[in-house]
Amino acid sequence: MTIRIEVISAPGCGKCATARDELRSIAMSVFGDRSVTWREVDVIEELPYAISLGVLNLPAIAVNGELLFASLPTPEQFRGTLSGLKLP
Amino acid sequence: MFTIGRLATVAGVTPDTLRFYERERLVSPAAKTPAGYRLYDAGSLRRVRFIRTAQHCGFSLAEIHELLKLRQDGEACCADVRSLAIQKKLRVEQKLRTLQAMSSALDDLIRGCEGDGSRTDDCSILHALERDPEAGAT
Repeated sequence: MTIRIEVISAPGCGKCATARDELRSIAMSVFGDRSVTWREVDVIEELPYAISLGVLNLPAIAVNGELLFASLPTPEQFRGTLSGLKLP
Repeated sequence: MFTIGRLATVAGVTPDTLRFYERERLVSPAAKTPAGYRLYDAGSLRRVRFIRTAQHCGFSLAEIHELLKLRQDGEACCADVRSLAIQKKLRVEQKLRTLQAMSSALDDLIRGCEGDGSRTDDCSILHALERDPEAGAT
C-alpha cells in the first residue's frame, strides 16, 4: 500500500524548492518512508499530464493521480489533508 | 515627447486605449502641458508595446500588472516570470481542450443531421440539444 504524491512545478521556482522539502518530510511523517512514492514533475516536460490533472497554478500537488492542492498548501493544510486520506 | 494622439499612432492603439491604460494604472503620462494635455516619453511607448505584446500572449491586465511588478521587484528573478508564463500556458491549454470538446460535440451534431428541407420538428440537431445530457447516448 503506497501513496503517490506528485509535486508539479517549474524548474527554478524558488518558492517550490523551499516548500518541497518541508512537504516531503510531512508526507513521510504521516505515512512512513516506505508508503510514499514522491515524484517531482517538471510541468514543461510533462505538460499534457499536468493539463490532464487540471493544473493551473504552480506548484500544485496531486495525490494518487488526483489534484488535491491546486496551489501551494501551508504545511498545516498539507498535513491535515494527508492525515484524512485513506490508503487504497 | 509624444502627445496622446502621436503615441497612439506610433504604438498602434487608440487614444481611448491609452486613457483606459491610465485608468488601469498601467501607463501614465510623463508630464502635462500647461493647458493640461498629456505628454508621453519613450518609456511610455515601451510600456504600451509591452502591454500590447503581453495581451497578444493572452495575459490579462491583472497579470500584466503582476509582470510589471516582477520587473520592478529587486527580489524577483527570471524564473518567477517564466513561472507566470507557464501558468498562462496551462490556462490557454485548458481553454483549448474545452474548445476542442465543443468542436467535437458540434461535429457529432453536424454528422447526425441530414440538413435537408424537412421541418425543424424533425431536426436531429434540435432533438439532440433537447436530450438530457445526463441520460447519455441513446
